[in-house]
Amino acid sequence: MSEPLLSVKELTIRREGSARPELDRFSLAIERSETVIMLGEADAGKDALMRVLAGAPLEGEAVSGAVQFGIGLAMSADQLSPAPVRLAYLPGPAMRPLSAHASAASQLARVVARRTHVPRASAHAELGLVLQRLKGAPALGALETSPAALAPDVMAWGLLAAAFAATPELLLVDHLLVGLPPTSARALARALVAEQERQRFAILYNAMSTEVARWLGGRLIVMRHGRIVEEGPVARLATAQAHAYTQTLLKPVTPLAGNPISPRSVRGQAVVQALGISLKSRDKLTFELRRGGSLALIGELESGRHALARQLIGLERIQTGRVVFDAVDIGVLSETMMSRLRRRVAVIAGADDVLDPRLTVSDTVSEPLRASLDLPRRLVAGYRDAALKRVGLSSLDNDLTVAALSAFDRRRLQVARAIVSAPVFALIDEPLRGLDAFAQSVMRDLLRSFRAEEEAAFLVITSDMTVAQALAENAMIFKDGHVIERGPLADILRAPREAYTRSLIEAASPAL
Amino acid sequence: MMALPPLRQSAAPSLRMTIRSIGIAGLGLMAVVVSLTDVIARVPAGTDHVGPPLTPPSALFQFGTDLFGRDIASETLHALAVTVDTASLAMLVTILAGGFAGFVAARLPWGLGFLLRWIVGVLTALPPLFLAILCIGLSNRGLAPLYAGLAASPLAFVRAFDRARALGTSPHADYARATGVSAMTLLRRDLTYELREGILAVAARALAAVTIILSTVSFFGFGSAPPNRDLGLMIASARETYIGAWWTAAFPIVALALLILFARLAAGLEEGERP
Repeated sequence: MSEPLLSVKELTIRREGSARPELDRFSLAIERSETVIMLGEADAGKDALMRVLAGAPLEGEAVSGAVQFGIGLAMSADQLSPAPVRLAYLPGPAMRPLSAHASAASQLARVVARRTHVPRASAHAELGLVLQRLKGAPALGALETSPAALAPDVMAWGLLAAAFAATPELLLVDHLLVGLPPTSARALARALVAEQERQRFAILYNAMSTEVARWLGGRLIVMRHGRIVEEGPVARLATAQAHAYTQTLLKPVTPLAGNPISPRSVRGQAVVQALGISLKSRDKLTFELRRGGSLALIGELESGRHALARQLIGLERIQTGRVVFDAVDIGVLSETMMSRLRRRVAVIAGADDVLDPRLTVSDTVSEPLRASLDLPRRLVAGYRDAALKRVGLSSLDNDLTVAALSAFDRRRLQVARAIVSAPVFALIDEPLRGLDAFAQSVMRDLLRSFRAEEEAAFLVITSDMTVAQALAENAMIFKDGHVIERGPLADILRAPREAYTRSLIEAASPAL
Repeated sequence: MMALPPLRQSAAPSLRMTIRSIGIAGLGLMAVVVSLTDVIARVPAGTDHVGPPLTPPSALFQFGTDLFGRDIASETLHALAVTVDTASLAMLVTILAGGFAGFVAARLPWGLGFLLRWIVGVLTALPPLFLAILCIGLSNRGLAPLYAGLAASPLAFVRAFDRARALGTSPHADYARATGVSAMTLLRRDLTYELREGILAVAARALAAVTIILSTVSFFGFGSAPPNRDLGLMIASARETYIGAWWTAAFPIVALALLILFARLAAGLEEGERP
């Protein structure tokens, strides 16, 4: 029997001052050409493992155990010398691995040159050739700019190409597809699979969502609190899980073919009426959103969805047409009056920096009440505690600042804040972006319950058809500032008219 | 393969926190010394013929005496107290006319804030010391703390303005506006947190700046006047004797340098920790 490509034995990683280790006596063996996906929450220990294998543990992390690459000698895990196998680390664009002060192409070429011991110009050319080879990848010219100016998917292609150009034997993939639009994520996953077949490298993938596991296949390791909860082939675990935690993670999302939301009565008062407002293009949009109704704006980055949503709540000037919000034409309102009108708007956004990091948990949730109503402290505290309980944050110290919370807690805190504001209009913007599989599952349920219990009009901005399907009945498909398709979401899913709509639906399906 | 014991140990304590503590502790110590000046000092300010003229440091006169037989230790303590008092007043002026005004100006409507920022930006091109001397020369030296505070304000104004703009255009401010939080509530919120978390940095930075300005102004003869000598004036009066009697200038210089150093240490570190 041949030696495994990577063998990790009894690896324990403990951070200073932490009661429980980040990784607890973890063992793993990866064969050549094998794909291993690690799935779990943010504190499952996967990140710590990747850091140690990539040779960059954090300050204050005590590491013990042994690591062996191929037929090389076993090394103490806290003193890894350069691996005797060709190892490439592939971070995701959300991790911002490149400096903003030089072009992405030059930095990636430098990485390739260092790994393959070739001149920078040759590495640059090799990078271009790899990009040409990858289906759906942009040309190298697209990377000849600062990483700060690059779209995340373009950056991801560049990182992927740099990793492939190093002809690795083992590829450590760290959250590559996090935050990417589904169509791009799917194309990148396809490229990864195709290149693996070509180069026969092994993959150790640190994943947050279950889609990656379904797309890439291979062996799935479900981790929690630094330990392995369950392990097995993806094909088996996707359908039959032994552990309850794995069942929660891999809880099947409703198939896109059906429409899980039963049609609701939307005869309530019109909350938002858009009358002939225009987007980047000259298209004029007219629609209304009633209390209890829902509309999903589906598309990818820069497709015009956010511009429309900001116009609807008066955050951006309306160029043409009118918006009537809660029976008031917002075009004639002063900023002060518009601000008062927006007190009944709730926003739940998939970005971690939308809550003021200096505010405490208590202040964040209470602010909508204190800003608009003169309620006694006792009553405010009652509403706050009830909302925190509903989102599962009642055990959180109310005096903790937002800066100290995890992404998942921040997201739930937004829902709690939305609950206390008793909104007439809820703007839900990519609510699952950047969350791990467990957090996505909880957030999905939380948003469904929020929608069921509040009678707000729901405007959902997403690029993920499954999110749209879970939260909305009607949809508009956006592309390059145009609405290319609109109507009941069930009809769009059943019979999409546009190729782009079909690609969005395909991107949400479990098969690659 | 066998498991090995952990070798990587905990990280060293934060150097930043240590230096910050030194700065704050130093300022605290100086505040105690200043508040106890009348108790610690051997004689009241300006008392001459306490000992023989130009006596070097000794057991009787630890810091020596000056040309008029004044006890340098007592004089340095009194001068430090005067410097700290006037600098504290000037610091308040800088915080209000610079930091606070800059923060509020950043939220003014119709581009008024930017107009103010531009005007104050022009003033920052002038050296604060020149501004202070100009203003004092045109009015009277009794207003030196006010003018020193105003002279240090443009930089504080610009810094506070830019900070307030960054906060006002941040994603969390946008989110707050989208959920109906008014501009006034946002300003109040930002001011509260800036005061709570950044006031020490702003105050210490301003203290260092105005201390330098006031001492230099006094050194040139535009600031404090006897018998209320501050450190600048005390150093200036030692100009004729320091070559033969180094102690007449050395101790006030050390006191002044320590005050500025502690203020800068406390300020710089707070600055780095701001969210």
